[in-house]
Amino acid sequence: MPRVFITGLGFVTSIGNDAPTVTRHLRDLRHGFEIYPPFQKPDIPVKVIGTIKDFTTDSPDPEDWTFPARYKLKRELLRTMAPNGLFAHCAMLQAIEDARLAESDVSNSETGLYAASAGSPYLLHHHHDRLVKVGVMRCSPLGIVASIAGTLNFNLIAAFKINGASCGFSSACASSAHALGYAYDDIALGRQKRMFIVGAEDGNVDAILPFAGMRTLSLQTDPNLASRPFDAARDGFVGTGGSVVLVLENEEEVARRGVKPYAEILDWGQASDGWNVAISHPEGNGSAAAMTKALKAARVSPAEVDYVNAHATSTLIGDVSEARALRSVFKESAARVAVSSTKALTGHGLSLAGAMESAFCAVALREGFIPGNAHLTQVDPECEGLNLPRTTENRQANIVVKNSSGFGGANVALVFKRAT
Amino acid sequence: MPDAVASHSVAPKSLPTAPKPFAPEDEVALREALKRCSPSTFEAAVQFRKTGNPEHVPAVVIGIIERFVEPDLRMKLKDADDDLRLIEDLGIDSLTMMEIVILVEDVLQMTINNDELRNLRTVGDVKTFIDCKIRGLPLPKPTKFIPIEHVAAVMPVQPPFLFLNEASVSSTAANGKYKISGQEFFLQGHFKDNPVMPASIMLEALGQLAVLYLLEGAPTEPGKVVSAQMIFFTGCEGVRAHRICKPGDILTLSIKPKRMKMPLATFEGSIRVGQEKAVIAEEITLTYGFVDAATAPVPIEAVGHAAGINGSAESSSTPAPLRAAINA
Repeated sequence: MPRVFITGLGFVTSIGNDAPTVTRHLRDLRHGFEIYPPFQKPDIPVKVIGTIKDFTTDSPDPEDWTFPARYKLKRELLRTMAPNGLFAHCAMLQAIEDARLAESDVSNSETGLYAASAGSPYLLHHHHDRLVKVGVMRCSPLGIVASIAGTLNFNLIAAFKINGASCGFSSACASSAHALGYAYDDIALGRQKRMFIVGAEDGNVDAILPFAGMRTLSLQTDPNLASRPFDAARDGFVGTGGSVVLVLENEEEVARRGVKPYAEILDWGQASDGWNVAISHPEGNGSAAAMTKALKAARVSPAEVDYVNAHATSTLIGDVSEARALRSVFKESAARVAVSSTKALTGHGLSLAGAMESAFCAVALREGFIPGNAHLTQVDPECEGLNLPRTTENRQANIVVKNSSGFGGANVALVFKRAT
Repeated sequence: MPDAVASHSVAPKSLPTAPKPFAPEDEVALREALKRCSPSTFEAAVQFRKTGNPEHVPAVVIGIIERFVEPDLRMKLKDADDDLRLIEDLGIDSLTMMEIVILVEDVLQMTINNDELRNLRTVGDVKTFIDCKIRGLPLPKPTKFIPIEHVAAVMPVQPPFLFLNEASVSSTAANGKYKISGQEFFLQGHFKDNPVMPASIMLEALGQLAVLYLLEGAPTEPGKVVSAQMIFFTGCEGVRAHRICKPGDILTLSIKPKRMKMPLATFEGSIRVGQEKAVIAEEITLTYGFVDAATAPVPIEAVGHAAGINGSAESSSTPAPLRAAINA
C-alpha cells in the first residue's frame, strides 16, 4: 500500500493564523483565550472563548467582514461563505503554499477534499429569520449554501476547482478526525493521490452558546484558567472556531515534487461507545477500542508510542473517561507515554478539533518537541497514572497518537510517525 | 400598439396602484438595502417610492445591477447600451440575477415571477420588463432565437436570395448573422475575378431582418398577425457603406424599429464584421398589413439554441436564458 504523508498545513486558529506563530505558541504554551465581548451580558454566564484575531465576521453580510490584506477575496466568493468558510479559504491558501502545490496539483481527478464543520448556526438563524419576516420569495438565494451543514465543502470545492473525491463529515467533535482517517484510506487504497482535509467552525455566539444548556462550558472569567484538561479544578470546555487544513499525499507525489513532509500517517482506527447520545462511556471503552485498532492497523505496539495528543476538552466526565481509556490501552507504558491536551491553549474547536490537533502533532513531529499540559496544576486523582508533562519537552517523538471523540460516542484514533 | 418600443418616452396615463405613503422608517430600510449602491441610485429609489413616477426606475435598476457587477466590469454599464448582455458581457450568473431581482423587488415593492426572469438577457430586456411591470402594461415578447430552418420557414424570401443564417428577435430589436460563403451566384460577376458583396444586397439583408422582425417580434392587434405576403420595401435614407465585404466575412446585422404606424414600419439598421462598421442605414421603411391569426399558418416553435454559422462553438455555447441554479 502507498505510504501517506502530511505535506502542507494551514492555520486560522486562536493561537495563530500561520504555521510559525502556531508553532511558537504551541512550544511556549501560550493560549489564545480572551474575554469575548458578545458574552458580556448578565444572562450569559460564559465569558471566555478562543478568539480568532485579525478577522471580523460579526455581520451576516460577508461584504462587511474584514480579514488580513494578504487574502484577496472577491464578492463572488464571499457571498456564499459562512465565517468558517472564510477561515477555511484562508487556511487552504496557506496549505497550498506550504505544500508548494501548483494549480494543476490542486485541480485534478486524483486530488480530493474532505471537510468538517457544523455549518453556520449564525447564518442559518439569520436567513431563516428573514424568510419568516420578509417572506419566502425574498430570502437570500444564497442563504442555503452559506449556512447549512456542508457549506464548507460546497464553497471550497467550487473555489479551488476540486475534481477528485469530496464530501463533508458530521460526527460532531470527531468529524475532522474522521475526515482525516477516510482521506488516509483513499490514498492508501490508491483511489486518490492527494487529499485536503479541512476542519472549520464559526466559533461565535451561535456556535458555542448552545453548549451552555448542557452545562459543558467553562464559566471561568479568567482567560488564564478557563481551559484546564485533566486538572481537578476544571469546569468545562472553552469554545473556539477557525480552520485548519492538512495536505495528505502519497509517497510517489512526495518524491515527484521533492517536498519535505511534516510526518507520515501510519493508519487509524475507530470504534463507538454505543452508550449515550452525549456522555462518553465512563470506562472510555470506545476510545480504548479505537486506539487499539489504530495501533494494530499501524503495526505499532503501545510501548512504541511517545506522545498522545488527547481529546480531553476539560469537561468533568470526558477527561476521566479518556484517562481510563489511555491507562487500559498503554498499561505498564501509561506512566511513560507523554499525554497532553492542546485544548488547554486553543479551546475546543468542535468539528475542527481533530484536524487542528492532528496538524499540531505534525508540527511537533517536524520541529522535534512535545507540547506540555498548560494550566495543569493539580491533576484530578481520577486521571493519575498518566505521564502529563506540565511543560514542553524538547525531544523528538517517533510515534504520536491523536484521539478524537464526538457525540453519540464516536471515537477516532490516528497514528503519526516522524517522516524519514 | 407598440408600447414596449416607445415606453420610455410615454408618460404614465394612470398608475396601477397609487404609491403607498413613504414613511421615515421606509427611508431607513431603503438606505440599508441600497447601502452598497451609488447615492444617485438611492435618490432615484426615494423619488420613485414617493411619487410612483416610473421615470426613476431605470436609474434604480441600473444602479442595482452595477452594485452586483465586478468593479472592473462596471465601466461597461456607464455608457449602458441596451444590448449589453447580462451573462456574456457583465458576468452575471443566475444566482447573481436572483440577488438583483430580490433587491429590485424589495426596493421597488414589486413581485417578479421565476418564469418572467427566464426571458431577460440584456440590460434593455431588464429595463423594459421592469418598466412594463411598474406601468401595469403587458410584458414584452421575449427575445427569440431563430435558427436557419425556421428563418426559411417563415420568410417570404427564399434561397438563393435569403441572406440570414440565424437571427434573434425581441420586441425592441432583431439581430442576425450571415456568412458570405463565396458561392452566391452574383459574386461570379460582382466583380470580375474579385468577389465583393454588393452593398445593395447588404441593404437587402437588413430589409430581410426587418421583415423577420415584423413577422416574429412586432406588436400586433388582438387576433391578428402580420402577413408575410403583405410586406414590401418602400424606401431608405442615409445609407452608407464603410467596408468592402468578401467571402469568409461574417456579417452581423441588427435593426431596431424607429416608428411603426400601419401600414409603415421604419427601422434603423447596421452591419458589422467583427468590430468593424460595414453598412449603416439611418432609415429603412417597409409596408405591412395584418391578417386574422386563425387563417395564418401556425409557425414552427423557435428553439432555444441556434446552430451557429460554422456549427460554431460561439453560439452553441450561448448560455440558456437565466435559470435558477438548482444543484442541491
